[in-house]
Amino acid sequence: MAVVSNPYSSDRKADALDHHDEHDPRQQLMFDPRPRGEMNRMVMESMLTTSWRFWVVFGILSVLVAVCFFYAWGYMIAEGLYVAGVNRPAYWGIFLVNTVFWIGISHAGTFISAILRVFKAEFRRPFTRAAELMTTFGLIQAGASIFMHLGRVWLAYWMIPIPNVRQLWPNFHSPLMWDLLAITTYVLGSTMYLFLPLIPDLAMARDRSTGWRKTFYKILALGFRGTEGEWVHLRTAMNIFAFAIIPVMFSVHTIVSWDFAMAMRPGWSSTVFGPYFVVGALHSGMGAVAIVLAVMRATMIHMDYFIRAEHFDALGKLMLIVSMAWAYFFFNDYLVQWYGGDRWTDQLFHYHEAGPMAWMFFGMLIVNIAIPWLTLWNRRFRQNPWLLALVGLLINVGMYFERYIIIPISLTINRMPFTWRLYEPGIEIWLTIGTFAMFLLFYMIASRLIPLVPVWEVQEGQMAHSLRKVGKVHVPAVSEME
Amino acid sequence: MAETTMLALFEDIDPAADAIEKLHEMGVTDDRINVISGVPVLERMLGRPLQWTNVSRLALAGAIVGFALGVFFNYGTPNLYSIRVGGQPLYPIPPGFILIFELTMLLALLATFLGVFLDSYFPNYRPMHYVPEISDGKIGVFFKVPEDDQQKFTDALSQLGAESVSPTEAQQL
Repeated sequence: MAVVSNPYSSDRKADALDHHDEHDPRQQLMFDPRPRGEMNRMVMESMLTTSWRFWVVFGILSVLVAVCFFYAWGYMIAEGLYVAGVNRPAYWGIFLVNTVFWIGISHAGTFISAILRVFKAEFRRPFTRAAELMTTFGLIQAGASIFMHLGRVWLAYWMIPIPNVRQLWPNFHSPLMWDLLAITTYVLGSTMYLFLPLIPDLAMARDRSTGWRKTFYKILALGFRGTEGEWVHLRTAMNIFAFAIIPVMFSVHTIVSWDFAMAMRPGWSSTVFGPYFVVGALHSGMGAVAIVLAVMRATMIHMDYFIRAEHFDALGKLMLIVSMAWAYFFFNDYLVQWYGGDRWTDQLFHYHEAGPMAWMFFGMLIVNIAIPWLTLWNRRFRQNPWLLALVGLLINVGMYFERYIIIPISLTINRMPFTWRLYEPGIEIWLTIGTFAMFLLFYMIASRLIPLVPVWEVQEGQMAHSLRKVGKVHVPAVSEME
Repeated sequence: MAETTMLALFEDIDPAADAIEKLHEMGVTDDRINVISGVPVLERMLGRPLQWTNVSRLALAGAIVGFALGVFFNYGTPNLYSIRVGGQPLYPIPPGFILIFELTMLLALLATFLGVFLDSYFPNYRPMHYVPEISDGKIGVFFKVPEDDQQKFTDALSQLGAESVSPTEAQQL
């Protein structure tokens, strides 16, 4: 088998094309191979080519991070949590909304990279890394949001599993300790899972760089050469990671949901919260991947070769399925609590649907269910990067609304009516802008330093694909390369 | 007799596999051959012996250590300084599963990651046999032969489609 496979190199080329005028397989990346050297050059150029617009956006985001993240957080630490809007009865506000939101965003990386790798979904190959980066950067923002919520952040070390001066250990049966361990496991696991398949691409970048970049890639590539042993160790590790990180991913958002569901509160105490949160995380994560891919394709040169209509099409189908699953879990959660007839739950639901924030409740249903269902059944719509990104953006707005409804709005209604008061965020708004700016800034920095397309995985996929004649037509076939 | 390390570069897998077979015929054993490539190529595609890896064993060892740590945190630490609250159990069993699961997975993943480093001798910044063309998709076959036989091997592998066959020295990557 050739290293650079070409399904059109045989004498069947003309015959193959005759039968594929409408659906030319070369529209698919796996059937449009280019020499590895050329793909390397394209990826390197995408990292090295920077326009003035990049630096303008970079500058704006840097200022936003400096002001809205570091300055605002420092101000809150110096002044105390009173500058935030959290107060009786909603002691959990936007900080925890952001935590849940960013953990949700992080789920798409693992889903695309691990689950699709396990099931050998070939369309995943060019954008696994872009999705994995979302996991790492999203979890950084989730962690920062938790620390913001702590207020006295310098006491965070109390949760580290070591005994204090009185030889007392932390309470490991508390959902907050579960959170700490689950998120730590997920951050470390997903970062390692991001790094392992990156090593061969860092070695490629090392071979094509000079100056400080050469030193940078040389250090990170760890001396990788591509020996048989190195590939075997790497591949074994990636397989272990792909299987092991999936239950970790499910556990993280389930545990996050238990922060709420373990409390006997109206709207929270629900046995379906675990899977409901996991599906919600995938819903927002998939939407975010669509946005990232559309922006990558539009702003980075040569990305139109690697990221194609087929990828948006597949992503759109996934988004539609996940939207249906989210609707199912939402309705399940809603109906069971509604049918229960608990007085305070009824009050809460009435507040959701007819209170001052009802627009958010119905907006959530429209953008999370109605819009995906009305649009994503259409192949042409799915294949349009900007339309899919728009749906992804709306889904993320809807999922942010969902978390806002679950946390501060649901806390408004409790069993003590004299405490009812609508939550009004304070400095949280600036800090939220700061986390979003930092997420985007990290992505922009990564796009200049890290090959966002795993070239070796793309080439491996192209080697495995061929056209097989069945009757009068040639159909795509994939060989087992592992 | 002095030995030299030679590098034969190939565009495709097929001639590389043929070349390795030829090297075997010419008396070069597998422990004197090393293959490097820009994409993972299975050993059996090249007729090479299967590579040994400890990564999965290390992952299992990490999982066992993580499990034990989880059991200690859950059911051991409450006994070190007992505080009984409201007649509740000192160490309830069901919530303990969560911590045990997370620590088992965390240590398994860490051990897997470290396993790659240990088995591959990463990081390694010493001079090594390498050519940058490998990451362009070429396949490199390194083999050790007596200095006097260089020409014989060069001719044999060139006939099988090698792009170049030449002595090589370790270099800084």
